[in-house]
Amino acid sequence: MSKDVTQKVSNHIGGKDLITVGIYTVIYIVIIGIFGALSFIPIFIPLTAVFCPLIGGIPFMLYVTKAKKFGMTTIMGTLIGILMFVMGMGYWVAITGLVFGLIADLVLKSGKYQSAKRTILACGFFSMWEFGNLMPFFVGREAYLAQLQEGYGAEYVSTVSSYMPMWILPILLIATFIFGLLGGLIGKAICKKHFKRAGIA
Amino acid sequence: MRREFLSSEQQKKGIHFDPRTKLLLILIISVFVLGGAGGNAMYFLRPVLSLVPFAMLISVGRGFHAALYIIAYTVCYVAQLILLPILTGFTNFLVLILAGTFCRFLPGFIIAYFVVTTTTVSEFMAGMERMHMPSKITIPLSVVFRFAPTVLEEAASISDAMKMRGIRFGGKKSSKILEYRLIPMITCSVKIGEELSAAALTRGLGAPLKRTNICEIGFHFPDVIIFILCGVTVAWAIFSAFSI
Amino acid sequence: MIEFREVSFSYGQNEQTCGIKNINLTIEDGQCVLLCGESGCGKTTLTRLVNGLIPHFYEGDLSGEVWMDDKNISKMPLYDTAAIVGSVFQSPKSQFFNVDTDSEIAFGCENLGLPEQEIRHRVKRTVRELQLESLMGRSIFHLSGGEKQKIACGSVSALYPEVMVLDEPSSNLDAAAIQDLRRTLTVWKKQGKTILIAEHRLFYLTDIADRILYLKNGKIIKEFTQHEFKKLSEEERHKMGLRSLSLENLSFSSAYVTDLEETMLLKDFCFSYRTGLDALHISNATIPKGEIIAVTGLNGAGKSTFARCMCGLEKRCGILEIKGRVLNWKKRLKYCYMVMQDTGHQLFTESVLDEILLSMETEDEEEACKILKKLDLLDLKSRHPLSLSGGQKQRVAIASALVSGREIIVFDEPTSGLGLHHMEEVAHSLRELRQEGKTLFVITHDPELILSCCTHVIHMKNGEITENYSLDRNGIKQMLSFFQNPIKEGSL
Repeated sequence: MSKDVTQKVSNHIGGKDLITVGIYTVIYIVIIGIFGALSFIPIFIPLTAVFCPLIGGIPFMLYVTKAKKFGMTTIMGTLIGILMFVMGMGYWVAITGLVFGLIADLVLKSGKYQSAKRTILACGFFSMWEFGNLMPFFVGREAYLAQLQEGYGAEYVSTVSSYMPMWILPILLIATFIFGLLGGLIGKAICKKHFKRAGIA
Repeated sequence: MRREFLSSEQQKKGIHFDPRTKLLLILIISVFVLGGAGGNAMYFLRPVLSLVPFAMLISVGRGFHAALYIIAYTVCYVAQLILLPILTGFTNFLVLILAGTFCRFLPGFIIAYFVVTTTTVSEFMAGMERMHMPSKITIPLSVVFRFAPTVLEEAASISDAMKMRGIRFGGKKSSKILEYRLIPMITCSVKIGEELSAAALTRGLGAPLKRTNICEIGFHFPDVIIFILCGVTVAWAIFSAFSI
Repeated sequence: MIEFREVSFSYGQNEQTCGIKNINLTIEDGQCVLLCGESGCGKTTLTRLVNGLIPHFYEGDLSGEVWMDDKNISKMPLYDTAAIVGSVFQSPKSQFFNVDTDSEIAFGCENLGLPEQEIRHRVKRTVRELQLESLMGRSIFHLSGGEKQKIACGSVSALYPEVMVLDEPSSNLDAAAIQDLRRTLTVWKKQGKTILIAEHRLFYLTDIADRILYLKNGKIIKEFTQHEFKKLSEEERHKMGLRSLSLENLSFSSAYVTDLEETMLLKDFCFSYRTGLDALHISNATIPKGEIIAVTGLNGAGKSTFARCMCGLEKRCGILEIKGRVLNWKKRLKYCYMVMQDTGHQLFTESVLDEILLSMETEDEEEACKILKKLDLLDLKSRHPLSLSGGQKQRVAIASALVSGREIIVFDEPTSGLGLHHMEEVAHSLRELRQEGKTLFVITHDPELILSCCTHVIHMKNGEITENYSLDRNGIKQMLSFFQNPIKEGSL
């Protein structure tokens, strides 16, 4: 009597994987939404670059224990982008979702989906999708300021610009990455403390 | 108690739009109003586009929401025009941030609200499939719509359990409240997700052939009007970009 | 014809479910086979081998082959198996994939890429055959558990499979929905489908099953025909750990007579959700204190709303008077406790001991260990609560209620999907809690549980308590007549 190898290791993304992606996307978005809801208050918007990556690390680090095929993380990023777009967050996030999902996927692949360090690095990159949500503050800015300039003059606009400086853009971008890394570390700890012991990781 | 991403029941009254038309509207508004594309040339078109969410809400008989929106938008718009020149310093900054942000974000949010509440999941999926989205995107996307209410339900049950045990902000163990909430929510959701996955696979999901979709969608007269509006906007933006 | 040839399977180490060993089995076309046995006997594993979830979804070590006519199921991809084997599962809430009923019925056919006209035709036919007309065009989120299960059956039926596999389909159903399920099975049987059903509740199947297999520790130990099975003596059945075979002659040890010495008073328990479902209007009711009170009634009768109000989860709802003490909803949050149906929702910490300490006013490890010992949990004190079995989780939830000094504990369907022995364990815990003077409410669809521990019944319908009686001899008759004839109630 021969023993079958029960699960062929294939790189093809099948139905089960696609459902897994969907499920973790929901969990991720719901958790992010806890803080995202705060961003209805404009002052909190830059802070989403800190909180969302930090907390998003928990579901992401659990997700990567299931997503061992190339493409799954890219799809998750893309989905988050599409959903954010449909929810009215602008079209930038659809692009950042896809791009940073893909980068994270490549990083994971380079570690053969096993390396602990690479998963945390991937978490850092993945978290940068959040930056797409903040893009409208910078991209449409010139148009907006130009519009103001027509009404109130150049001097006024330069004062306003100082309140919303352009240099905060790279800082936010880096922040999403750094806090993404931290979130990855937290997520890893939580996986070990809870999910492994509860039998789901 | 509306906890769904997209609707699970057919819209009962008002004008029906094709889901693809609705997606186009979101795109146009997020490019030109939220994204500020087109620059100064769009100075007059932007408020016009901002009226679209109002019109759409009216078209499905949500007069009350439409009125709320138009009032909020007008207040912010007028505040910018009138208050900004007279105020100085911090109050000026505050008005600028609040009114400016709302004017840009509100139309996008409202159109999203309109789309999400009037489109059923099957219409949306049919629309995605007609746009030749690959099944690697559409299948997980349909899971998202199906699963989101479940995760929120789980979260609600966990909140109840926390209430019964007296765990709340300001109570004992406040610092751990997030952990207490997230861990059971994720664990329960993952387990339900696994059952869902098994059930879907035994009904043939993931077969490597073209899925049929029996949901009927198509373009009609109201869609054409939206297309014309979007076309004009884009044409105007391109035209003014070249004429400068 | 389904054929198992020397099949053995074991799950990975993480799984608590037990596998099966050396199964040889042939099931003829058109047979209805019932798999029974205690939890973990391998009956679910057997169903998973037929619908292909093993080895394609659940991983583990498989040897031997499962054949269906000339097809090797273990080697066939799941989407091909889907066309010939239909599956219905235990939990209604996790087995639908769409959000509206029409799409759900068409779902399987859409996946297999059948032509649109064909799908429409099949959906129409399925709806007619299974009498689903009233459920069409609805949001699945607004259906009751029983209605969801009907839709799940319809969705499978539309694929026209030759074999139907059901894994504990009645676990979360009320008495009326079980009758519906029975009707669906009869339709399938008439159509000549082969049916394989793993189940704990047996009473609704005794007239349908042609062949009954009894499993233990992953092996088929006994086999009965319908006739032989019906003739099993009570004693044998009990020894095998099987639920009763009929509701007509349920045995009960002794009828209990309550003396109604102490009572509590419910006032203005009125509540309605914005959806209008499951509303509650109890203006006045007297209920004995210190008893085990079964809360019966069909789904949607307001039982769970009643439980939520009792525990203070709905704001400003109702007043409870006990011994002159008046408890409003806020006070009840601390006085009552609910052991939820899915206890995974109410366990937060990383170990069983922490869980108990969290519930204590002041943390006292010694006291906590005492309670754990009493509930037989001491050996598990450093385990992660979410890794425990269902029954253990339930006991942890009970322990945390005890340690925080709750006087009223509400159980939400504590025995759904449990075999005889586990059900008796629950009944045992409940009786012990009563000995300590606690008042218990048990929402349940399980007449056997009621007979083995409850002392009082409140029956609910349309948000009101329509019957309120103690379980003496007459009370038992009254209670059983509801479970035997739930349809009458539904149509009224």
